[in-house]
Amino acid sequence: MDVFFQQLINGLSLGGIYALIALGYTMVYGIIELINFAHGDVYTLGTFFSLAILTLLGVDSVVHGPALIGVLAVTILGAMILCGLTGVIIERLAYRRLRNAPKLAPLITAIGMSFILENLMLYWRGPSPVPFPQVIPNPQFALGAVTIQAKQIIVVLLAVVLMVVLQTFVYNTRLGKAMRATAQDKDAAQLMGIDINTTIALTFLIGSALAGAAGFVSGMYYGSTWFFNGFGAGLKAFTAAVLGGIGNLAGAMLGGFLIGLIEAMTTQFISDQWSNVVVFSVLVLVLIFRPSGLLGESLPNKV
Amino acid sequence: MLLEIENLVARYGRITALNGISLTVGEGEIVTLIGANGAGKTTTLRAISGLVRPASGSIRFDGREIDRLAPSEIVRAGIGHAPEGRHVFPRMTVRENLELGAYTRRVRSEIADETARVLDIFPRLKERYAQKAGTMSGGEQQMLAIGRAMMSRPRLLLLDEPSLGLSPKLVQTIFVVIREINARGTTILLIEQNARQALAVASRGYVLEVGSIAHSGAASSLAASEAVRAAYLGGAA
Ligand SMILES: Nc1ncnc2c1ncn2[C@@H]1O[C@H](COP(=O)(O)OP(=O)(O)OP(=O)(O)O)[C@@H](O)[C@H]1O
Ligand SMILES: [Mg+2]
Repeated sequence: MDVFFQQLINGLSLGGIYALIALGYTMVYGIIELINFAHGDVYTLGTFFSLAILTLLGVDSVVHGPALIGVLAVTILGAMILCGLTGVIIERLAYRRLRNAPKLAPLITAIGMSFILENLMLYWRGPSPVPFPQVIPNPQFALGAVTIQAKQIIVVLLAVVLMVVLQTFVYNTRLGKAMRATAQDKDAAQLMGIDINTTIALTFLIGSALAGAAGFVSGMYYGSTWFFNGFGAGLKAFTAAVLGGIGNLAGAMLGGFLIGLIEAMTTQFISDQWSNVVVFSVLVLVLIFRPSGLLGESLPNKV
Repeated sequence: MLLEIENLVARYGRITALNGISLTVGEGEIVTLIGANGAGKTTTLRAISGLVRPASGSIRFDGREIDRLAPSEIVRAGIGHAPEGRHVFPRMTVRENLELGAYTRRVRSEIADETARVLDIFPRLKERYAQKAGTMSGGEQQMLAIGRAMMSRPRLLLLDEPSLGLSPKLVQTIFVVIREINARGTTILLIEQNARQALAVASRGYVLEVGSIAHSGAASSLAASEAVRAAYLGGAA
């Protein structure tokens, strides 16, 4: 039972990272029906950006007290901004002009974009894993036989806070409503006076910024990254988005945490090698019984 | 003239949908554009709203060239558009749809007034206020599409087949509403399959045939014209 609770904690931390990445997939799919294959690489870029910022700040070991808050804030915000801008540039350069092209064209372009980012990172930081400094003291809390690490709390907390902020933005602000309107009907959105280029760019900005935050968290959590890290994580996060119902924000969060839990449990109780099989089996099963995902809405088509 | 279109040409790839049409709409008028399926009526309205880029020709609104403006700027200039096929936001409530209709407006009290006006004209929308638009009936969606287009308080309202697919009783209601909106000072350019009623409510009309204006004039004389009657009014009245 202790093992179960331990894996519950581990799975939630893992899930927090997946959930943050999954939000970007689901937002972009929701607004332009594109599976943005480059998104996983933006996440890896987030780890490298964080690393670069820490280097700039001259931080390579544990920081204490108020300075820690400052370092964390600057690094996370910096990675979010840089990744957000990367996302906006990708949309502007690669996807915008293909908005009315047949679906296959932007999809292939997204795969190409993913290769470009991976190769840029390969060129920048080389082919081997790059260590990520331990900047936060990592005290462990024992709950019976279960240990919770401070960084696990940070992962889950950051994920939940960012999700609440995002949800509030999308459902309660004017721009958030414009984004939802653009996602539901682009022509109608324009007839309301919404500039859809702006709302689509904003979607990329926010989705990529969340991947940037996930990138920081992953560096901190795993202690290293490499240029190809985003491939596997991206695939899992995309699966999470589909599991939760693609296009649905709450679904992406739920899917992310579920995939993290499934992975942690499978690794513990079955075997490491089976975790992908189980994750994708669950996906297939869910889609058989709920084709639009766990929280996906299936509205009748327009009358 | 509030709206002046001159020699407008619009193409979809190699298909020419509008072959140099000219028309005008005066302030306060109801003008109708009738024609067979595929004649180019919807394309005309989409060009006015900026959703279709004209290949050549000009569109002036209130004396200002608008054919190079983005759709969002055209809305701000004062043109509202209830498009063919309703296009309500399906996963949003009636309330949210109306709020989006007022996207270009900032003054809360004015938005509240306009909402009240729309709900007054379409009491059914008040009953359905918190319902997702995608789950409403076709007629209800049509009312919402018109109400939503009114929310920006446009000087010119473009209506693309507002009575399509509605029961005879609702069709009557829609035509009453069109008169009412116009009486409150909004100029209307109306596309209708229902040519007889469109000509009854309009002051002037244009008949579009495969991308060109074939007839135009006072609504009453169009309604009386043999050619128009034969083609669009089902023969003898
Ligand atoms: N997106 C498009 N791509 C290609 N051709 C189009 C497109 N939209 C319209 N057309 C063509 O342009 C012509 C005019 O279409 P339009 O929709 O303006 O006609 P309409 O008068 O509104 O017809 P209806 O009464 O059926 O609504 C038609 O021949 C149509 O097939
Ligand atoms: Mg039409």
